Amino acid sequence: MSSHAVVIEGLRKKFPSPSGLGEFTVIDSLSLHVALGSFASIVGPSGCGKSTLLNIIAGIEPHEAGQVHIAAQDGANTAARIGYVFQSPRLLNWLTVEDNIKFALEAQGIGRAVWNERVKKYLDMVGLAGQDRNFPLNLSGGMQQRVAIARALAIEPDILLMDEPFSHLDEITARKMRVDLMRILERARPTILFVTHSLREAVFLSEEVYMMSVRPARIFKHLRVDIPRPREPEDPRLFDLEKALVKEFFAVLEQDYR
Amino acid sequence: MLPGLLTAIGFLVLWKAVSLVFLPTFLPSPVELLSNIAKIFSKPSAYLVVGKTLERVFIGLILSMLIGSSIGLVMGLRRSVGSFFDSWIMVLLTFPAISWAFLSVLWFGLSDVAPIFTVVLIVFPYVTMNVWEGTKALDKELTDMATVFRAKRFLLLRKVMIPQLMPYIFSSLRISFALSWKIALVSEAFGAGSGVGKELTYWFQSTRADMMLAWGASFMVLMVLIDIFLLRPWEKRVFSWRPLAIA
Repeated sequence: MSSHAVVIEGLRKKFPSPSGLGEFTVIDSLSLHVALGSFASIVGPSGCGKSTLLNIIAGIEPHEAGQVHIAAQDGANTAARIGYVFQSPRLLNWLTVEDNIKFALEAQGIGRAVWNERVKKYLDMVGLAGQDRNFPLNLSGGMQQRVAIARALAIEPDILLMDEPFSHLDEITARKMRVDLMRILERARPTILFVTHSLREAVFLSEEVYMMSVRPARIFKHLRVDIPRPREPEDPRLFDLEKALVKEFFAVLEQDYR
Repeated sequence: MLPGLLTAIGFLVLWKAVSLVFLPTFLPSPVELLSNIAKIFSKPSAYLVVGKTLERVFIGLILSMLIGSSIGLVMGLRRSVGSFFDSWIMVLLTFPAISWAFLSVLWFGLSDVAPIFTVVLIVFPYVTMNVWEGTKALDKELTDMATVFRAKRFLLLRKVMIPQLMPYIFSSLRISFALSWKIALVSEAFGAGSGVGKELTYWFQSTRADMMLAWGASFMVLMVLIDIFLLRPWEKRVFSWRPLAIA
């Protein structure tokens, strides 16, 4: 394969319709190429099928037509490692923070010899050093989501999928988490596919932004965000970009909903 | 604390008063009951009798938990198995317990097998129903998470599913424990050559209600102690990760 981490061609996904009669197409002829090592965001309104798309890429949701290919960085023979940060932390509450990360390492078949080192490295990275023996339910929502991020990074994935990971947090925590995520990614650098409904979040975090329409979901615009990192959340260039994109979004959405 | 104490004292006084009307062998007073218990356990052979019954209760309980949980788990994970066993479990649950007690004596004679067999057949269907109910509450989001991280089946069971079933397994365990010892005693009364149940039959045939009460009460105390000092601390340890909702 080329220098793409994810290649999706002509993807189609149908769901049974809520009435029980027939089915409706959620995603239709969707194509997406995510460059190796880039931070790409998919932005679309709620319920447009963004999470479904990530689940198809992650292999937990079937699809009707099209191809999904994820490239492994170290040779094409090994299956790609996928890290996933969900909307909610989805931690195993009966395991300590440390054991939650080790669960992912064990699941991936990563040798026991490196477990402790990985746990320490990635807990440090997400700012949770010293919490390894704590149980998830003793942590705040933001801290739990940091554990989930550490778990996804610890397997050193070829691609990191993030599904609105900060949407359940209050805005102040979410803002801090975004800045921290940028800092973390200076040290760990997987390809990231980030799904959000917030254009502001997308332009602040990403190098590539894909905009998605509804019913059926398709990508109607792709743009690069050329503002160099580290970025300031209040950078006026980000606001200008966001404003322009919002305008464009509504133009397309109005057509979709008509 | 105080109302509880007053109730207890009131109960003892009432008991003593009623016991004055009857023969001590028909209804003993509290003090007589205690002295009977002391008399029973002054003989070393009494400990062997209790030990024998405990052994049967625990073997029956462990087998019931293992068989019951395994079937419940498989029923939950495979829909076809679930619908297949569903009616069979109901058949077992509705079959009269007393019939099992008699049948196992006819089939296995005077042996350890008869009471254990009876306990298992009566108790394991409850465990199965409970654990099966638990599998219906398994969190699909966690299973998806484990699948994305490529957890193999055994790891998924061990670290994701079974921990979610632990509340159901523990509630089954405590109910099964209470059920097991009662059933074991009944079964021993019918057809075992030894054990607390056999002592009860012996004193019944001698029309000595006082000795039956002494045996029954001491076994009950032992069971409550096992619950307080073994089962409850164990449960507390297993669920230490869970902050308490009620203080």
